Amino acid sequence: MKKKVLKRMFSVLLAGSMMATVLTGCGSDDGNTTSGDAQQSAQNESSAQPSSDDAAGAGDESQGEAGQSDEWIADREIVLHAYVDDIYNALPDDQVNNPVFKEIKERTGIQLKITFTPGESNSKTLAAQLAAGTIPDAIVCYLNNSARPEFPLLYKAAKDGLFADISEYIPNSKVYSKYMEDGYLPNDTYKNIVFREDFDGAVYLLHLGIDEVDRSLIYDPTEAYIGGPYIQKSIIDALNIDPTSVRTSEDFYNLLVKIKEGDFKDDNGNDVIPLGPKYWGGSVDAMDFDFRGLIWGVSDDYNMDENGEIYHVAETDHVYELIDYVRKLLNEGLMHQEYFTMDETRAEELYRSHSCAIIGDVHNYVDIIYESEDWIPLGPLNDLQGDNKTVTSGKSGRGCLAISADAENPEEIFRFFDWLSTYEGQLLTQYGIEGLTYNMVDGKPVLTDEALEHLNASDEKWMWNEVGAAFGGSGVYLFEFITTNKNNIDNFGEVRPGATGSSTFQRSVDLATQYPREYKLVEGLGATSYLNTEDMADVKAQLDLLNFNDVLVQAIFAKDDAEVKTIIESFRAQLKSAGVDKFKEKLKAIYQEDPKAISFYR
Amino acid sequence: MKSKAKIQKAPVGKRIIKFWPLYVMLIPCVVYYILICYVPIAGNVLAFKDYSFRKGIWGSDWVGLRYFKTFFTSYDCFRLIKNTLTVGLIKCILEFPFAIILALMLNEVRNMKFKKISQTITYLPHFLSSVIIVTMIQRILAPNNGMLNQVIAALGGKGDTFFLMEASYFYPILFLMDLWRNIGWDSIIYLAAIAGVDTALYEAAEMDGCGKLGRMWHITLPGIRGTIGLLFIMGIGGLLSSGFEQIYLLRTPGNMELADTLDVYVVRVGLQGGQFGYASAIGLIQGIVGLIIVITANKICKKMTEVSLW
Repeated sequence: MKKKVLKRMFSVLLAGSMMATVLTGCGSDDGNTTSGDAQQSAQNESSAQPSSDDAAGAGDESQGEAGQSDEWIADREIVLHAYVDDIYNALPDDQVNNPVFKEIKERTGIQLKITFTPGESNSKTLAAQLAAGTIPDAIVCYLNNSARPEFPLLYKAAKDGLFADISEYIPNSKVYSKYMEDGYLPNDTYKNIVFREDFDGAVYLLHLGIDEVDRSLIYDPTEAYIGGPYIQKSIIDALNIDPTSVRTSEDFYNLLVKIKEGDFKDDNGNDVIPLGPKYWGGSVDAMDFDFRGLIWGVSDDYNMDENGEIYHVAETDHVYELIDYVRKLLNEGLMHQEYFTMDETRAEELYRSHSCAIIGDVHNYVDIIYESEDWIPLGPLNDLQGDNKTVTSGKSGRGCLAISADAENPEEIFRFFDWLSTYEGQLLTQYGIEGLTYNMVDGKPVLTDEALEHLNASDEKWMWNEVGAAFGGSGVYLFEFITTNKNNIDNFGEVRPGATGSSTFQRSVDLATQYPREYKLVEGLGATSYLNTEDMADVKAQLDLLNFNDVLVQAIFAKDDAEVKTIIESFRAQLKSAGVDKFKEKLKAIYQEDPKAISFYR
Repeated sequence: MKSKAKIQKAPVGKRIIKFWPLYVMLIPCVVYYILICYVPIAGNVLAFKDYSFRKGIWGSDWVGLRYFKTFFTSYDCFRLIKNTLTVGLIKCILEFPFAIILALMLNEVRNMKFKKISQTITYLPHFLSSVIIVTMIQRILAPNNGMLNQVIAALGGKGDTFFLMEASYFYPILFLMDLWRNIGWDSIIYLAAIAGVDTALYEAAEMDGCGKLGRMWHITLPGIRGTIGLLFIMGIGGLLSSGFEQIYLLRTPGNMELADTLDVYVVRVGLQGGQFGYASAIGLIQGIVGLIIVITANKICKKMTEVSLW
């Protein structure tokens, strides 16, 4: 009898625990995580976030003193969900007791809590969580312009009422009120993101990372990113060629042939392949630098010909020129076969062992470039206009902030993010705590020797946990990303904290000084930005399903010219079927009204 | 016997009281199936709605059959269906006999140590994630420095074939990869079925002079016919579900003409493109076609072999 009772009790306990497991799995987590690696997510959140008790405690301590301050906003917590993996990868372990987070709490009353959900990609996680309709107080994601894949999702969420309308707070804000000034915002930001006509006066999306002063046409070696192909110095020296003399597609081809004939060997004794993929892994993006003179579709694959007709590049013979050129390089063994497809890890291995003479695309702030003297910039090559100036579209943004329509008191949240972009906010979040990491000298912040030492040693853990400041992006990336109206030169006397005393990036600056670039302004938006309107919804839905980059690579690897033709013809038919003619008509009308509206040039 | 009949005749309430621990243990399973398998079926309604983030599934506006019309009139429709069916046939039909063959072979192994090691080695790949398997394949098949190309070069060949970029290698790679991953795991159920075959039948056959192959053909295979039939019917339902991970990871611009299947398409347009209604419509088509195939296969199987799911 006893045995029977025990058995029954055991059964009940077992069933109860199974039930609890099932229900735990089905439970929600305050909307912070909905997918992905749950265990990892739990770890991330437990290590990176404060407990509510802690947060409340901290608030009680600071409220009395800071309650009178101009900077005071409210004694509360703001949960910001980041769809930016760079933010998640550079957060303090403890967001409550971290010096900068603590200082923010003391001054504003706000305990900032950052959450993140790991997933295959930031945009997919964003799509899944917006679809679930569960977002915390605010979200932040990548958005350099309205043509990015995140934008249609943000736009739909805004139209569906998922975000709070913050238009009434902007005019009286300290920083974001500048967004209303004529010419302050880039055209795309103003027309397509922040002050969209179809939002009927409402503002749901704030474009972040806008510079206060437009310096996009001023070349400053101390902050210039020198992107594009880089070549092994030993190889270009052995060939006795000036890397800046390589300007045309023909020059580039001749260089690749010479490298191949030079019989150079890598660190393992294998033959060096002349041209390799992008440093971050195979991609068609590198073609914009390596085969620049053959890229006709300069505005999201569209351009206008000499007769004023607009075409997708696939509809022109220019596409065959590019394909033939790349096929020639592949057939002659002048470029790596995995130029378009290699994964990031293998690409890095390739360059660490010097297995390719040329990195398809990298820049001077990547460690492989600034930590050794092995690589130097090549070119840059000429574009279809016949010059090698770097194209800039002027000021641009980097990220997007939106406040949830369900958030408690959205005005406080808006005021907090506005405060972060003020001089005081930026000084704190970029330089840390006065006396600890910087001192004011002649009205400008100067990093202490200790801070400079950690910065030069790339001691990220110290920057994240012992300080919590951004240090120009080397530390807590959140604060580099989340602010706007940036003007480090005028405000702080240097392009980024410690730039004047930093030795880490000295070679990056040296390269930028030695291989200067010229800029040219091409105004207007990428052509596909104009697909994001109601009248183009059907066309956009169909065009979004087509992937020209994939088709291009498919044609490049076709077995013969006849197959290339078949692939391109098939894509042309798909474009037609998707309604490209309707879209081109719209582009033509826009261009006729304002030639600076679309970034066409030839 | 008498008490069994008595229990069966007892009212449901009484039976529940008598066997309550068993019913309590059943609750988690029932909850699981309701929450994870049946409740989401209601989400299929999204295939007929213009999904609004704010209004949710039930509050969104109806759009009728718009997504179905868009899909069936789209340029990609028949290519996607053809690719999905081809991958489905490879996975459901072509791979199907290999697990049975492995189970039959393992059943004949008399050295238990060797049998256990072989079994473990064959089913271990089942526990590797697709990402790891595809990464391994990418490295083995890489042009120039990949292991296979190095072997080809060592044997006097050119050794520069870019296997993953050539469409003609896509199906063989997929077939071999999927077979390697699943053959051991799939064979376990057949081994269990073989273990249930009456050993007296083997002894009798042996006395009648029946050889190993003969016993396999006349006793083992008919003995597990029911299991084979059931697994075939259940497997064939996945004909239009090619699986997402493997295909997506193996997909390159060179093989995308073949590697674009409905599952990949659903993720591409649904999650990446944010067209949730459209993706749901395609998912619903897959589900309905899968159900029809299972019902048809079940009927045919019942008629021909008397084996059926219901």
